[in-house]
Amino acid sequence: MTRGFLEKGVLAGLVFMTGFAVFIFALVLAEVAVRGGGALNAGFFLEEARDFGAAGGVRYQMEGTLLLMVGAAALGLPLALAGALFQTEYVDAPGLKRGLRLLVYSMNGVPTILFGLLGYLFFGITLGAGVSWLTGVLILAIMILPTIQVSVQEAIEALPEQYREAAGALGLSRWQVVRSIVLPHCLYGIVTGTLLGLARAAGETAAILFTATAFSGARFPEAMSDPVPTLQTHILVLAQEALNPRTIENAWGAGLVLLCLVFSLIALSLVFRGRLSMEFER
Amino acid sequence: MKISGFFLAALLCHAASTQAAPAAENRLLVMGSTTVLPVASLAAEEFTRRSGREVSITINPGGSGVGVNSAATGRASIGMISREISSDEHKRFAEARLKTHVIGHDRVACVVSSEIYQAGVQSLSREEIRAIYQGTITNWKEVGGPDREIVVVDKERHRGTRHAFMRYVFGDPTARAPGARLVTGSNNEEQAKIAASDAAVGMLSTAWISDEVAGVGIREGQAVLVSNDASQIAYPIVRPLSLVTAGEPAGLAREFIEFMLAPAGQALVENFGYYPVAAADRVR
Amino acid sequence: MFQPRSIAIFFRVLVTVLALTATGLIVLFFLFLVKESLPVFQAEGVGFLTGRDWWAGESYGAWPMIFGSAIVTLLALGLALPFALAGAVVASEFLSSRLRWWAKSLMELFAGVPGIVYGLLGVGVLAPAVKEFFGLIDGNTLFTAALLLGIMVLPTLLTLADDALHAVPGKFRDQAQSLGLSRLRTVWAVVLPQAKAGLLGAVFLGLGRAMGETIAVMLVIGGRDRMPAPWYNLFQPGQSIPSKLGREAAEAVGAGLQWNALMGLGLMLFLMVLGMTVAGHLFLKRGRAA
Repeated sequence: MTRGFLEKGVLAGLVFMTGFAVFIFALVLAEVAVRGGGALNAGFFLEEARDFGAAGGVRYQMEGTLLLMVGAAALGLPLALAGALFQTEYVDAPGLKRGLRLLVYSMNGVPTILFGLLGYLFFGITLGAGVSWLTGVLILAIMILPTIQVSVQEAIEALPEQYREAAGALGLSRWQVVRSIVLPHCLYGIVTGTLLGLARAAGETAAILFTATAFSGARFPEAMSDPVPTLQTHILVLAQEALNPRTIENAWGAGLVLLCLVFSLIALSLVFRGRLSMEFER
Repeated sequence: MKISGFFLAALLCHAASTQAAPAAENRLLVMGSTTVLPVASLAAEEFTRRSGREVSITINPGGSGVGVNSAATGRASIGMISREISSDEHKRFAEARLKTHVIGHDRVACVVSSEIYQAGVQSLSREEIRAIYQGTITNWKEVGGPDREIVVVDKERHRGTRHAFMRYVFGDPTARAPGARLVTGSNNEEQAKIAASDAAVGMLSTAWISDEVAGVGIREGQAVLVSNDASQIAYPIVRPLSLVTAGEPAGLAREFIEFMLAPAGQALVENFGYYPVAAADRVR
Repeated sequence: MFQPRSIAIFFRVLVTVLALTATGLIVLFFLFLVKESLPVFQAEGVGFLTGRDWWAGESYGAWPMIFGSAIVTLLALGLALPFALAGAVVASEFLSSRLRWWAKSLMELFAGVPGIVYGLLGVGVLAPAVKEFFGLIDGNTLFTAALLLGIMVLPTLLTLADDALHAVPGKFRDQAQSLGLSRLRTVWAVVLPQAKAGLLGAVFLGLGRAMGETIAVMLVIGGRDRMPAPWYNLFQPGQSIPSKLGREAAEAVGAGLQWNALMGLGLMLFLMVLGMTVAGHLFLKRGRAA
């Protein structure tokens, strides 16, 4: 009898703790939505920031964030795809396969600030790209590469064995297998990975902090050697100012916009991943 | 894949072409001191409006140390600094032949949370400030305030405001402050942290004094010197605000610096709460 | 025009070159870090790691930053782990597969909340709350940073822990329940022990993830490059390696002993995070194999 009582207690405790965790995140969302919601209106999306962020909107910041993440994904995707195919299709030695896999996972763990610093040293100084959109794109591309690659790799590995057996029976070459079986069937994996990579790039601040962005005076870049304003760094600067309530509201507003952007990308990726698993369950 | 590959190729080609002309004649990146940033930023807008050409002047914060480093290493065309270039930096960047262009002057204030000011701490002597930053005075009651522990706010070592402040307080611009609790970066960050506290002391450019962050007078003998009283020319904590370039500036960089020194630029400096170059005698 | 064979060869070469570029980069990264940090080890020796004093231009002692990173990360994990485990047990053992999918999707969303948004929350909400709640003179402390980090890694930790529990084959549960064990006792006596390796993997990956966070920590940790006194007083400000890099690197970038010292910090961070990530994945793999 007491045991049943104890168990109910423990279970209630577990549920309570889970509920508390959910509550924390509900609080996080509510806080951002309430504090940032007031700043959102058409002008916030269409106007440029004025008075050091106290007035106007975040038009160029949004464009900058989009430019950086799209550039990074466009550059990171072919590299990630090649990495995934190389590992799954072109390497046969299991030891090498394991090693490469661990390398990708390790790369995924590298603190982003290090990508920023070393990336700036290499691309910005050694290759002469300076503080620019280009440097930011290159750094972010490397940063999101493992995110995309892991996703693609998982999709390829989820490919049912029969497909390959059938291909073997038909005597297809590796290239033919890749072109007619692997690529078409892991399309959802590619899309999912790219979306997650975009989300990761959009949420990143430390790596682009002093390598790619500008606080004031920058608009839509005319060349790749121009720095861009971004939502992330804009929030960082505004967050350190606490006296002007308009500035603070705009910081939260920009945070809300960024959060919505990242959430929609991840939500989309979840939808595509759902498609992926459905395909193989059929 | 194909589209991405094309994009990659395009990107690399473009990169190569932009690299050929590193400092485009209509672009300027200015980086550094957050004290100089607001006036540089306002001047950039005004300059762009008046020039009637397609120019783009981008401005980034970072602090005086970043200003020196950026100008010296070519990261930015112009660095902003709110102090002199240190002998260390002159040595380190000897090859860059750094050149400073003073665009104005500023007084640094010792500031406290408004609660402390209202509770009676309206002036501090140099010795008291030194003891607070050394950590030998830790409670406001020791300097005539309420019984409350002092939240001592320091700044990052390379910041211009800190150099001016520490030179006065300790006689050494890079003196250590073992009594410090928080270390902040920009003027905004320090102002926000002091405002958020009800027991903080810190250092700020006079232009950042507000309802929440009060400037305390500096007691020297019988006199109490207040940073935002322009008539007191003896106010002791002053520093130049400058733009710095590697070698003689040319092209757009020179035009911009000349604009900041012209009447229109100097008016912006004065309106923001700094002293124009012509008023240097008011900041000793 | 082209033979299929030549396309195949071209593709193979392309894939190999691109893949090696990517993998070569990480190796290059590491070598670069070592090379850039070498001078500081030559100048300060082991003292670089054990020194407690960092004052650019005079001395470079990394210990307060190493300590700060380690303690903040450990505390963050300590705070988050109970909730992650409880959530994982509930999600994996008591939710229908549909509800579990929703829970996991939600966690994935939350894991994506940008660090700068947490930074904003830290400055605007958490730091004042910590100050108020614990009656401190100021809310920017090691504890505040740990609390914020704990919230940040919770979704990742929960998802990984749930995966670890879910990877335990159903037959173990069936057997335990046929012996008359309740669902909860089954979890305690059978599922958790079986999932130990996977859970350890989750912990290590969580640690690695938390240790590299820069922006959010930078805004609330206080930025003081000294050990708290006494060392276990986490209601004092401190410094973590990423935060130090974020604040000081722009001033020193490119050359000089200060830059080398910062890169030395970066190398330490890299090695610690690498160790945890590799350990995490090895445990995860063992968890899946079991």
